[in-house]
Amino acid sequence: MSGGAASLDPVVLALAQNRLDHVSQQMGHVMVRTARSPIFSQAHDFSCFLAGADGQVVAQADGIPIHTGSGGFAVRAILRDFAGEIGPGDVFLLNDPYLAGGNHLPDWVAARPAFLNGRLIGFACNRAHQSDIGGGAAGTYNPEATELFHEGVRLPVLKLIEAGRLRRDLWALLMANTRTPDLQDGDLRAMIGSTRIGVEGIEALARELGEAQAEAAFAGILDHADKRQRAAFAALPPGTYRGEERTDNDCFEQRDVWVRVALTVHTDGTAEVDFAGTDPEMRGFKNSSYANTVSAVYLALTAFFDPAIPRNEGRFRGLTIRAPEGSIVNPRPPAPVTMCTVFVAHEIVHALWKALAQADPARACAGWAKNIFGVTAGQRPDGSTFVFYHSIASAGAGAVAGRDGFNSIGHLCTLGGLVIPEVEIYEQLFPVRFHRQEFRCDSAGPGQWRGGSGVHYEAEVRAPALYSFRGEGLRYISSYGVAGGEGGAAGEMEIVPAGGAPSPAPKFGLRRLGPATLRAVSPGGGGFGDPLARAPEAVLRDVRDDLVSAAAARATYGVALTPDGREVDIAATEALRAAAKRG
Amino acid sequence: MSAPWQAAAPWRIGVDVGGTFTDLVMVDDAGAMRVFKAPSVPEDPGQGVLAALDLAAQALGRDVGGVLAACGFFIHGSTVATNTVLEAKGARVGLVTTAGFRDTLEIRRGLRADVWDHRTPYPPVLVPRYLRLPVRGRMDATGTEIAPLSDTDIEAAGATFRAEGVQAVAVCLLHAYANPTHERRVCAVLAERLGDVPISLSSEVAPVIGEYARSATTVMNAYLAPRVGRYLRALDARLRALGLPRAIFLLQSNGGAASIDQLAPRPAALVLSGPAAGVGALDYFRRTIGSDRLIAMEIGGTSCDVTVMTDARVPVTEELDIAGYPVAIPAVDIHTVGAGGGTIAGVDAAGLLFVGPRGAGARPGPAAYGQGGSEPTITDAHLVLGRLKPGPYAGGSVTLDGARAEAAIAAKVARPLGLSVTEAAAGMIRLLEQHLLHAVEKISIQRGHDPRRYVLVACGGAGPMHGAAVARKLGIARVHVPRHSGAFCAFGMLNADMRQDFARVHFAQLADDALPALEESFRALEAEADALLGAEGFAPGDRALGRELDLRYRAQQWDVRVPVPHGADAAAIRAAFEAAYDRLYGHIQPGGLIEVTAARIVARGILPPLCPARPDPAAAPALPAETRPVYADDARGFVPTPVYVGAGLRPGHAIAGPALIAEATTTIVIGAEDRAEVDAAGDYLIHVGGAP
Repeated sequence: MSGGAASLDPVVLALAQNRLDHVSQQMGHVMVRTARSPIFSQAHDFSCFLAGADGQVVAQADGIPIHTGSGGFAVRAILRDFAGEIGPGDVFLLNDPYLAGGNHLPDWVAARPAFLNGRLIGFACNRAHQSDIGGGAAGTYNPEATELFHEGVRLPVLKLIEAGRLRRDLWALLMANTRTPDLQDGDLRAMIGSTRIGVEGIEALARELGEAQAEAAFAGILDHADKRQRAAFAALPPGTYRGEERTDNDCFEQRDVWVRVALTVHTDGTAEVDFAGTDPEMRGFKNSSYANTVSAVYLALTAFFDPAIPRNEGRFRGLTIRAPEGSIVNPRPPAPVTMCTVFVAHEIVHALWKALAQADPARACAGWAKNIFGVTAGQRPDGSTFVFYHSIASAGAGAVAGRDGFNSIGHLCTLGGLVIPEVEIYEQLFPVRFHRQEFRCDSAGPGQWRGGSGVHYEAEVRAPALYSFRGEGLRYISSYGVAGGEGGAAGEMEIVPAGGAPSPAPKFGLRRLGPATLRAVSPGGGGFGDPLARAPEAVLRDVRDDLVSAAAARATYGVALTPDGREVDIAATEALRAAAKRG
Repeated sequence: MSAPWQAAAPWRIGVDVGGTFTDLVMVDDAGAMRVFKAPSVPEDPGQGVLAALDLAAQALGRDVGGVLAACGFFIHGSTVATNTVLEAKGARVGLVTTAGFRDTLEIRRGLRADVWDHRTPYPPVLVPRYLRLPVRGRMDATGTEIAPLSDTDIEAAGATFRAEGVQAVAVCLLHAYANPTHERRVCAVLAERLGDVPISLSSEVAPVIGEYARSATTVMNAYLAPRVGRYLRALDARLRALGLPRAIFLLQSNGGAASIDQLAPRPAALVLSGPAAGVGALDYFRRTIGSDRLIAMEIGGTSCDVTVMTDARVPVTEELDIAGYPVAIPAVDIHTVGAGGGTIAGVDAAGLLFVGPRGAGARPGPAAYGQGGSEPTITDAHLVLGRLKPGPYAGGSVTLDGARAEAAIAAKVARPLGLSVTEAAAGMIRLLEQHLLHAVEKISIQRGHDPRRYVLVACGGAGPMHGAAVARKLGIARVHVPRHSGAFCAFGMLNADMRQDFARVHFAQLADDALPALEESFRALEAEADALLGAEGFAPGDRALGRELDLRYRAQQWDVRVPVPHGADAAAIRAAFEAAYDRLYGHIQPGGLIEVTAARIVARGILPPLCPARPDPAAAPALPAETRPVYADDARGFVPTPVYVGAGLRPGHAIAGPALIAEATTTIVIGAEDRAEVDAAGDYLIHVGGAP
């Protein structure tokens, strides 16, 4: 086959797409292997991606879902700020959501340009959550922040390495602005190392293909994803669909703050997502930077459609996003934003899923309950510091057609990818003893496919500690049902000081406590479809499993069991269901 | 019928039951080897074993009894455990848990294979919640009892299990790795009430920290115990009745052998039984090749297994996953991808070519088989490109039809992409070989190895068709192809040592004053290991016990496993840990506090290694059986290519590419810049030419 952009060899296109995905994964392996903080090797809180010379992300096979749409913002900020000054051996660093295409300050992006015959052909990048970046609280999350300045050091686009030479002055500045310079030094080197692997991969592929075929392949990869997404949109009935979701506090007072969205799809496969009507930015740190808002939109759409459609920026070329300036989905500086990758990312995904459920009810996703848990930090008797999340109390997910909600699973913004820790390990690492992690009964959102149940949770923290409350879904229903299904039960949490009486846990803010037990029930996910259509055998199993009571089986699902509780009473069930349908 | 094989007794027999074929490899006392292949019988795998024995008996001119009576060592690798899981045919299991933690097994830490694919449900939980029963009683993280065990709760659980007809019981209590006394008490109380229902204890099956992996493994063991135990005992009885003088051995997931008596109660150690035998094969070939750094790429009909041997060691991990169920039992570190001869190619809705991971399986198989398959596979592409020849294939069990292969590729790949059939077939091979390349790169990079410093061992029925091409892309200079490539694992079983892994959780800060307690842990494990080897009939001189420690920097949550010689002091252990850590993670923490988390003993019963065969050297130059047009590459297209028949090639023969070698169990593709030779043991070595 001859070269030239007009006649791209289809085999070359497949090879290039597959190769670039592999290169982005290799970068991730190197990162896991070389970084210092467990946040990377254990929690995998980073994303490696490759972009073309124009900043469009072409491959991102590795990484966490809420990073999916933000990569291009970073690369385009570099192209804007360093036009004409980007050369081989340079490495750029940035994090600022207002100045430099960042999503929130803890996620730093290292980006290295790739060249062929002296011409810029792309970038290899790594976005990774740092262990500490200064600011008002250790560990990057400052729940009392009211300005971005309280959240850590701000980095506009920096040229950290110039033609292979590290700017030692900048490095010293970065290390001066972290409480954990040892970790940061190692982690930043690992990030930079991973971008070198990425650039080697891009350059090798481009050399192999030649300049014209390489350029055509990058374009072809983006076109292919664009075509597939347009086909997916075009299969929906054209029209405008609306959805909304709220958080019930702004980190300082209890009040509802709303995300509102209108999704318009056209017959040609283009679409608009418009956040008009969304509430103004809030005082606390749940405002979503624009890059994070775009990411949350991509996450919602990607999770809704066929997971095999490639996750590159070409995919959303036919999509226009409008987010009113000064709202919680596009705040003005210096509004704080650090929490946004979890909340209000969750609310954005819910609002958009509600709109999509109307466009394609068969694929509708019921709401995932929000995680109520926060963080506990303190000192061990030997003076060393401990910090842990109460994520053993993870909430229930929403159902889809064909699958009940997962009963206890990581945040929606990771699509459950954040792994739940093990009790035995935490009891080795921290002064804590767990007494319960078990499914709830009658908490799952009812449906033909029911939501996840959530869990009972009890953790005895055996040392004085500082508690940061920043979960959601406490004492209100945070999931929703679709296609006739219903939301799951609300979450509850109380604090029992050693030898004291229980009191309800606050929804936000910090508390300093002596040894105490945290007792909670995490909220349940939403159901899909009419509960009366649930297979009676599935209801029987839930009753036998104590996930649904016999009373709720009758009242909610119209299923009666035999007196020994071991079988479905078919005649009684038919009668119950017939009566329920008559209404 | 040719003259009977005059084999020297006693011989060894290895049998690998795969999805399609049952491979039998027999090696006689003089090192001569024969391979026999019979179709597998999934409903009764023992029948496939007997059919393969029948073929051996015919070759020897004896009856099956005569073959077995002179067999000194019979080792079996079987997919029976794996298939029991895949077909969901295991036992009805009851699980005893610590009160408050009934649901660990079903929460699964939230782990899912592909986070983006959230619509796919989990595989069904192996024990329903109503059979996961809590008992009160609690150990803390140091193994100290903080709440007494409730006999009332155990009895209540036993009553429920009996009423529900439970066929096997698993027991997993919190921190039982640190103190197993509660689990043992549960076992004693239940055994009284449940008769001969097998009971698996987490502290015995998988004494690791982490309640999810430990519960899941213990449950898997219980799930498999009745069916796998029945199969193994029946097969053993059948063979013994026919004349086999001693009990059969089985190949475990850790690559070592063990007797049936040891394994019947621990069937979870068999889930990787077949593929793990590759370790024994690598251990044999590292001697004939003269390199301790090998990467095996074994490609069959549906998948490619990549195994890396570094400095003569193949690592074992406890991170095995079978059909979505974790199994925390030492298993050979094998990276598997869906890429083999039967892998299907096609074009997606938006016009992009894909190859795999889906495969056509044994039925219908590739389009060329004419068994109803209409989707083009890699085998079809090889046929179109002339690398395979139309006609009988795999010992005549199938016939390759070129027209069917061509039609499938034309319809499903060439026409949608606007390519010729040849271009489409060549594109399928390129994309498949890129998947293979990525599979090797992934495991080498993740484990910190540079593949260019290794010899690639291309094996399995399809591996030798891609070995040289993949090596060229990896920058690997030499490819080794075993003559009996298609029976790699059955052969490897015959070169396996007996192996058993022993572990004990042991927390300590690494320092010289911690060594006496550690020595005590080691000695206790060694006594246990030594007793077992003795009971298995190994003389003291044939027993080898290796010490290993799981170590980590303070506050990290992952361990690095390091071999530790007897008498090593803290400084020596630190140095070994830092070297391993640096290779894996690219840095160390100078002076960082190091914690011990577990002591381990790898116990080996040494079996006599296979002697390399020494076939007669070549007396005359190699002559091709035919020359036919075979597709070389995009630039050259089809070129006349000599085809040699493997049976006629002997040590000393050298063949310049391009060429094909047709072996009994595989076809070897030698590229235009490559050069192949037959080594002293009769296997093939390809010197890879051309730039990567």
